[in-house]
Amino acid sequence: MNVEEPSSASSNEQKVSAAIEMTRSDADQEKKSNIIVFRLGEEEYGLRIDQIKEVVITPRITQIPLTPSYVKGVANIRGNILAIIDLEDKFALRNTMSETSGYTLVVESHEYNMAILVKDVPNTLSVADTDIDYTPAVVTEMHGDQDYINGIIKLDDRLIILIDIFKIITKDDLKTVIGAKI
Amino acid sequence: MKEEELRQIFLAEAQDSFEELNRLFTQLEKNHGDREATEAIFRIIHTLKGNAAAMGFDDVASIGHLLEDIFSEIRKGKILLTAMVFDDLFKAIDKLGEMIEGVKENKKVPYKGLRAKLKVILRNLKGEIEFKATQGGESSEEKDKELEKEVKEELTESQKEILASEQPVPLGVNLAEEFADEEEKKSKITFSDFVQVPVSKLDDLLNLVGELAIEKDRIIAQGASFGATNEYTRLYRITSDLQYSVMGVRLVQVGALFHKFHRIIRDVATIEGKKVNLELEGTEIEIDRNVLQIISDSMIHLVRNAVSHGIESPEERRKKGKPEAGKILLRASSDKEYVIIEIIDDGNGVDATKIRKKVLEKGLASPDTLSALSDDDVVKFIFEPGFSSVENVTAVSGRGVGMDVVKKAVDAVGGKINTYTELGKGTTFSLSLPSSMAVKSALLFVVNDTEYAIPLSFTEAVISVKRSAIHKVGGGLVTTHLDDTITVMFLRDLFDCTNYDELQDAQLLHRSFDQIEDDETKINIVVVSVDNRMIGFVVDRLLQQKEIIEKPLGKPVENARFISGATILGNGNVCLVLDANDISEFLFKPAFVAV
Repeated sequence: MNVEEPSSASSNEQKVSAAIEMTRSDADQEKKSNIIVFRLGEEEYGLRIDQIKEVVITPRITQIPLTPSYVKGVANIRGNILAIIDLEDKFALRNTMSETSGYTLVVESHEYNMAILVKDVPNTLSVADTDIDYTPAVVTEMHGDQDYINGIIKLDDRLIILIDIFKIITKDDLKTVIGAKI
Repeated sequence: MKEEELRQIFLAEAQDSFEELNRLFTQLEKNHGDREATEAIFRIIHTLKGNAAAMGFDDVASIGHLLEDIFSEIRKGKILLTAMVFDDLFKAIDKLGEMIEGVKENKKVPYKGLRAKLKVILRNLKGEIEFKATQGGESSEEKDKELEKEVKEELTESQKEILASEQPVPLGVNLAEEFADEEEKKSKITFSDFVQVPVSKLDDLLNLVGELAIEKDRIIAQGASFGATNEYTRLYRITSDLQYSVMGVRLVQVGALFHKFHRIIRDVATIEGKKVNLELEGTEIEIDRNVLQIISDSMIHLVRNAVSHGIESPEERRKKGKPEAGKILLRASSDKEYVIIEIIDDGNGVDATKIRKKVLEKGLASPDTLSALSDDDVVKFIFEPGFSSVENVTAVSGRGVGMDVVKKAVDAVGGKINTYTELGKGTTFSLSLPSSMAVKSALLFVVNDTEYAIPLSFTEAVISVKRSAIHKVGGGLVTTHLDDTITVMFLRDLFDCTNYDELQDAQLLHRSFDQIEDDETKINIVVVSVDNRMIGFVVDRLLQQKEIIEKPLGKPVENARFISGATILGNGNVCLVLDANDISEFLFKPAFVAV
């Protein structure tokens, strides 16, 4: 258990709940989340494993005219046509992504067909729920546009930004695909 | 052929009903007072009887009728069920099952004995039981038990009497024969020859078959160079047979949609105080179920419009010397891979002068442009978004579904819509719809090193012209094809745009053209016909013609402009399918028309 909780209003409660957790023998395992960690720009980002379907080598991407630059296009991943999203571009980070190399995280729900570009094979990380700060000040103060940030994970000297991929794409900006049909 | 199909449908339904009845009777036997079961049985028998009578299976109908009578009494609470009649009721159901089986095998099943028996039951239940039931003051359960006992004794007596008095029933031998092999037949389980399949399963199947067809093309193209033709011919035949069988499974008769309009027209006509007769033609024409579903709302809109705007009131019609009742004809016919559905009314037609006025009011076109347009072209404005030709919003029209929505739906399935109208005589809307959406032929080409496809249903021709044959006219480009002046557009110009403002640039369509310096340079043009307008798309390189399965682009890129969907090519690449309608809309949108 990580005792160095980030200073936030709920940290005391979390510590209490953490204590309760430890008294339970098997609760410890239940409360762990598997996070897929990948690098975007100079930061580490994480996605909950249940939002990810698979990791594949980036296939050939077909560009779609008149879409925002972070929509790299569409590609055929196992017979499905998926939109390829470049989150570095989306988050306005220094873009180090190249289209031809690297891997693609497939996040597929019944509603969205999309995949995100990552530079190298992502790692899995098992994180105790208590290590995730769901309400860091930086998140709550951010405006609607950035509420895709789910929480911050601090592990030793690492800081991982936990994001909710479906929140990113439900944002209006993708609806206003340039010149979209009304 | 049609008769046979109806018979099959009847049989499938009847068999279902038979099984359901068996289940419900068992349920009812356990609990005599089960109102729900009684109601359900009554309903099922009623439907079965009606269907059988309509099909001319009088024997089934007659037994059904008797059972219906019995259950109608039970339902009304006039008679109570007793345990002893269940044997007979089960026998009746078995007989009914046998008769349904008989219809299937075209064999007559004797049933008069059973009919007599049922009549006896009905009479007894109605007479004696009703009487007894009203007598005692005991609790109903005790009453029931008592009644059972009494009835059992009485009925066996009276049954004989009444059976004897039933004239048409030859007693003795025949009856015995009829019920002789009852025991063996009881435990026989029958299965319907029909299988109900959810459409989604068929969609999946069709999708897979479509992919197989495309893979087949690829393998055959590869294999042709090896010269192993025999195997490939076989593969070709099997896959296309499979493809057509699966496509065939999804076909339904347009009658399934047409017949629904009797009611719709009746309702609208009543509201509007008009007299309208509906006529149907070509109801046996088959079309993909999904196509039919997508355009069904549009059909409703068109038909409602025909009644509401087209057909005049009875007085008006009389004045014009027309019969009081208007006529709406729904006609389907097939034309190669297309099904033509026409909605024809003999009403007043569309008044082009009124449309012109409206177009000006709404600022959809400049007066100069408008005066240059023929009446036929002016009528096309009804399909423009935001155009509504009715002054008053009535209960029927003006619900927000405009003709533009109709056009969108037709576009969505890759169809076309045409209008023919003659003032005072009537209007015809003609929808040309693909009979199947599974696989469509498309022309592949390259722009900016990216492959694109355009459905062949849009393409008219592929031409190659010198640069000198293309001329700047205003903000656009034109060339001549077969004596027609056609608008030319470099697709590259459109696809190079990165934002909306760029799209609005007045010089947009000249960009690529201006870069070509040599007058002799050959320019490849795909001539596309959209809404009877001809547009020439300039492409970098033409590839082959190919069968594709178009899949819609999902979220988050489903709104991508100028693209209707995508397909996966043999080499695994994704190829975008152009939305010719959207490009045409962009090119000819009011701003451009006014230029």
